[in-house]
Amino acid sequence: MLGDLRKAQEIFHATLREAAVRAARGDVPDEPFWLFSDARWRCLEATKSDLQPEPIEMEERDVTADAESQIQRLDPMQLAVWISAAPDPQRSALALFYLDEFDYRDILDIADLKLTELSHLLSTGRRQLQAWLDSKFPKHNKA
Amino acid sequence: MNLLSSMRRQRFLLNCAPISARQPADRSMRAALSRADGSAEFTDQQKFDRAVAQVVHLIAIPAESAEWFSEKDVLPVAKRSWKSTLRNPAVWAISIAVVVIAGVFVFNFVSHLNDFPGSRTARKLLGIAASTRPVMLDPVNAEAGTLSDLFFMKHGLEHYDVPAEFAEFATIGCRVFEDDESRRIAQIWVSEKRMQFFLFPAERDTKTGAVQRFPGWRYVHQEGWTGAVTEHSGVCFMAAIRGGDKELAPYLSQPRQ
Repeated sequence: MLGDLRKAQEIFHATLREAAVRAARGDVPDEPFWLFSDARWRCLEATKSDLQPEPIEMEERDVTADAESQIQRLDPMQLAVWISAAPDPQRSALALFYLDEFDYRDILDIADLKLTELSHLLSTGRRQLQAWLDSKFPKHNKA
Repeated sequence: MNLLSSMRRQRFLLNCAPISARQPADRSMRAALSRADGSAEFTDQQKFDRAVAQVVHLIAIPAESAEWFSEKDVLPVAKRSWKSTLRNPAVWAISIAVVVIAGVFVFNFVSHLNDFPGSRTARKLLGIAASTRPVMLDPVNAEAGTLSDLFFMKHGLEHYDVPAEFAEFATIGCRVFEDDESRRIAQIWVSEKRMQFFLFPAERDTKTGAVQRFPGWRYVHQEGWTGAVTEHSGVCFMAAIRGGDKELAPYLSQPRQ
């Protein structure tokens, strides 16, 4: 969500602290994913004051059968930065989806999205990621 | 939902298809996955998603934060409590069905508890009693007990005797007819409380042909009518009356079985 380990850690601890205080007060919300929603909002709040990338038309490509080998060559931190650079709500959708911990209905709940929106964000995200992979690992450079 | 919107929804669902099998999928997602099974485009998407998820899991987490995570799932599958199980509509539906089936079983068991040889025929005859009109019978002005001679002489029916308890009642009419199993039934209408008497062959053992006897009087009930049945010499006699057991009890000399 942030592409910055230090900020991520601060938000993680702030979220847990808030959760502990709420639990001590007996003020834990009924929503099952409130902790994750809270963390997401804190991340969005933290990046609000950051330098925002100019909105540009990202190139898109169809997902290919050999994308798997391109992805395997990716440095995890590069992928983290790429996802964190996406505008929200696409950033939240990609981050929550690829954590592979949540059902799509959970993601709709946490990120406050509709199915059509989530579907569009993920589909576009894949195509943009494929275009980025193609530019980063052109086919003729494949190992 | 028309076909087009249904296909569009499936497309939306497939774009959000779970990466790993451990995530629960709802019914609509399962249906979409089953329809897309084997499609090259979807297979590529799944491989793509799995590869990205693997890299995402390699993203370093600061040690200070990592210690908060156990090896267990972030969202362990919650065990269903008894309360939530009871609130499940499916559980309700099954419970109601089981209760209804059990109720029918108990009803059948209880209603057949007092069955005796010939009770099925007796119930059918109570139905006939309810629908019989006086004009359907031949007018007879005699005591009921004297009709056994008539049945023997005119219809060749032996032992079609009215028991002593009912022999002195004045008769309005009588007839002999065959039921749906070709058994010859004698029907007598008496003036006393508009009672009807039926005489019919007793049940016989299908193997030996022996009469299945039973002692005393037995009651049967059907459509608001009550019948008191007794067997003598291979012929059953039934006194039928509209009402309950109490209407017939005063006429029966022997205690109820």
